[in-house]
Amino acid sequence: MPLLTVTDLKVAINGEPILRDIDLSVDSGKVLGIVGESGSGKSLTAYSIMRLLPAGSTASGRISFAGKSLFSLSEAAMCKVRGRDIGMIFQEPMTALNPLRTIGDQIAETIKIHTDANRDQVRRLLLDTLRRVELPPEQFPPSRYPHELSGGQRQRVVIAMAIALRPRLLIADEPTTALDVTTQAQILKLLRRLVDEDGLGLMLISHDLAVVANTADEIAVMKNGVVLDAGTPKRIFSGDSHPYATELLEASTHVPAIVSRAAEKSDVNGNGNAPLLEVKGLVREYKLPRDNIFARSKSFRAVDNVSFTLQHGENLGLVGESGCGKSTLTRAILGLEVLQGGSVRLNGQQVLFGERRGLAPRHSMQAVFQDPFGSFNPRHKVAKLIAEPLYAAPQKLNRIEQRSAVAQVIERVGLRSQDGEKYIHEFSGGQRQRIAIARALISRPALIILDEAVSALDVSVRAKVLDLLVELSAEFDIAYLFISHDLSVVRSVTERVLVMKNGRIVEQGMTGTVFNSPQHPYTAELVNSVPVLGYSVR
Amino acid sequence: MIRFIARRVVSLALTLVVASAIIFLALEVVPGDPASIMLGVNAQPDTIAALKEELGLNVSRPARYFNWVAGMLHGDFGISYTYRTPVRDMIADRILISLPLAVYALLLSTAIAFPAGILAATRRGAVADVSIMGSTQLGIAIPNFWFAIILVAVFAIKLQWFPAGGFPGWQDGFIGGIKALTLPAVALALPQASILARVMRSSLLDTLGEDYIRTARAKGLTTRQSLWRHALRNALIPVLTIIGLQFSFLLAGAIIVENVFYLPGLGRLIFQGITQRDLIVVESVVMLLVFAVVMVTFIVDVAYAAVDPRLRKR
Repeated sequence: MPLLTVTDLKVAINGEPILRDIDLSVDSGKVLGIVGESGSGKSLTAYSIMRLLPAGSTASGRISFAGKSLFSLSEAAMCKVRGRDIGMIFQEPMTALNPLRTIGDQIAETIKIHTDANRDQVRRLLLDTLRRVELPPEQFPPSRYPHELSGGQRQRVVIAMAIALRPRLLIADEPTTALDVTTQAQILKLLRRLVDEDGLGLMLISHDLAVVANTADEIAVMKNGVVLDAGTPKRIFSGDSHPYATELLEASTHVPAIVSRAAEKSDVNGNGNAPLLEVKGLVREYKLPRDNIFARSKSFRAVDNVSFTLQHGENLGLVGESGCGKSTLTRAILGLEVLQGGSVRLNGQQVLFGERRGLAPRHSMQAVFQDPFGSFNPRHKVAKLIAEPLYAAPQKLNRIEQRSAVAQVIERVGLRSQDGEKYIHEFSGGQRQRIAIARALISRPALIILDEAVSALDVSVRAKVLDLLVELSAEFDIAYLFISHDLSVVRSVTERVLVMKNGRIVEQGMTGTVFNSPQHPYTAELVNSVPVLGYSVR
Repeated sequence: MIRFIARRVVSLALTLVVASAIIFLALEVVPGDPASIMLGVNAQPDTIAALKEELGLNVSRPARYFNWVAGMLHGDFGISYTYRTPVRDMIADRILISLPLAVYALLLSTAIAFPAGILAATRRGAVADVSIMGSTQLGIAIPNFWFAIILVAVFAIKLQWFPAGGFPGWQDGFIGGIKALTLPAVALALPQASILARVMRSSLLDTLGEDYIRTARAKGLTTRQSLWRHALRNALIPVLTIIGLQFSFLLAGAIIVENVFYLPGLGRLIFQGITQRDLIVVESVVMLLVFAVVMVTFIVDVAYAAVDPRLRKR
């Protein structure tokens, strides 16, 4: 008999049905992967099992766990199940821990509320749990606070809280989405080890097909609140599964057709072609707080002597983990940082920090950022948002010209021109990112910096946005600096790639060469950490 | 933590130096010579000069500033121009009323606001929440002097539970003093409690929506346990700021309520000082209030660091 069986689960929020007829089961010692795009109801399914649904929701159906029907338990009895029999871990390790309490305190809390263990026993179990999640107490004493740990370490603490009492079922809701590839690989390995050692059942929820495919024993594919198909990874990816599963697989292995125009051009113009962007010996240091007022101030080099060039129409990738200095470098190129050394030149003109000096060259570059909602003013209409770069343009357009320019780019990125009259919250994540691209496009830039521009998007949306980017690049002769922690995306759209670590470029070269035969050990580690879909379409 | 406190103490001292200079200069540029005002329009020039000498007004400005600061450091605030008594004794008398009144009002306001705010936040949208939020609207809108008059009419005149005004002094016993301060403290506490309850509610609602509350629930904590163990301490940070600001306000800004209840507090002293051009009293009381505000801020900062480990590093 399976450990957990969900039968006919229906959930409605404020009367509106969100989940319909969900049937799932998880066995002890097995991993059930649930994949689907955002809004498919994956997380809501998890919260139904935990009975932690948002206010205003009603659930019906049957959830039986180890022979008990969870829906018939009282709230008090359910509190005893949570944390002791069913553990849960979440997507965002940075906010999942209480910042004001030590990690030991927070892990021990799980033990204290469910058992009568005395202080020594709690302490022993706590240290043992820290070891099980590979946070040796000698290095990570329980007296640490969450802000003293990295994202991956915090996620281990969250896992420790969930598994301290060796629950029989663990629900992991996007446990690695917010983490770097190398950390992701380690956390997935840890979860798999816990499943194999403790024989716990794991429900692994992710939007990333590759993450689930390599870890799960069974996969359920969800869309719009329905389970479309379920089975072994082999069958799901074999092609005789539900068409949507195949669609997802296609989207996540999607490679847009790149027209390599940089190579073409240098053939035509010879090697004397001046680069579009030239970054030379760039250094950005941050002052660290002094130990005391008489001590010499120390500094931290976020970007350490970085040099590279970018040709007209070239797609250059920049990869590295969070904290490696990617974002600081982006800001420096855009003229938004004071430099401690080196220079940035766009079309031969130096990009300077400051409002007055640096505007002219900046006009021919634009940027698209990761968060498609946070980078727009929610009180302005989309047409006004898109027209923004025009206010800084050297030659001003009149009202009519401006309107037609806006209409043109809106339609070019695949929206309708009347969408300009709407506000940003009326659009989906993918549409918002299209609007961000339209905003970048309107000033006809020679360079667009894409800083994690597709990282927040679902696979199928991401595939379409990537296609659009490649088309635009060819049509308007735009060069891209494509910054991402997602190696597979960088691989599919760039010609050349830079690998960054601790503020330095450790390796660069043609994308295929760098990824197929990495020279630097760090690049090799990055490439090996990427979960690879071992299944091809058909 | 020790480094954090040391750093705060340095900035506290600097603030006091800057504030004392500003207070001194601001009152220096005000027209009107205290000696001539005290002696009236018909005074002889040599009488004025003699008085100036007596009051220490005949030396240069920087010298007067340093005399003033040095005196304060020794507990000598000078002699009142109007009453010819040491300012220190005048302040001491008044502070024995104003400080207990401020503390009393703050305790009342906190005692009302915390339960009200917590109840409103946990019963969001329910009858309790709506009625608490409605009452706080009222509490903020009612002018406190008007509320004070109502209190006097009901509890002093009609029911005769509390005196209608004046202050008997602490020498006749604690109970008598507290009784005299109760109605003014209630009048002062009501608007403060209303503001504080609203801050408490919104801060707690924010915290209850945090991811770590969800984590706590997933661990098996009940709603109530996650509120007490995880939400409350986090929600306290903005609340502490408001409490600090309110205490400073209560100490200095109680003048209207002091007038309604005929309480000889600091607020009235400073008001009298201004109308009588008794600059030395004004300077000293303002300086004292600045000191109180800076101290409260310091205590709030240390309390922050005690609550939030992330701040201790700075």
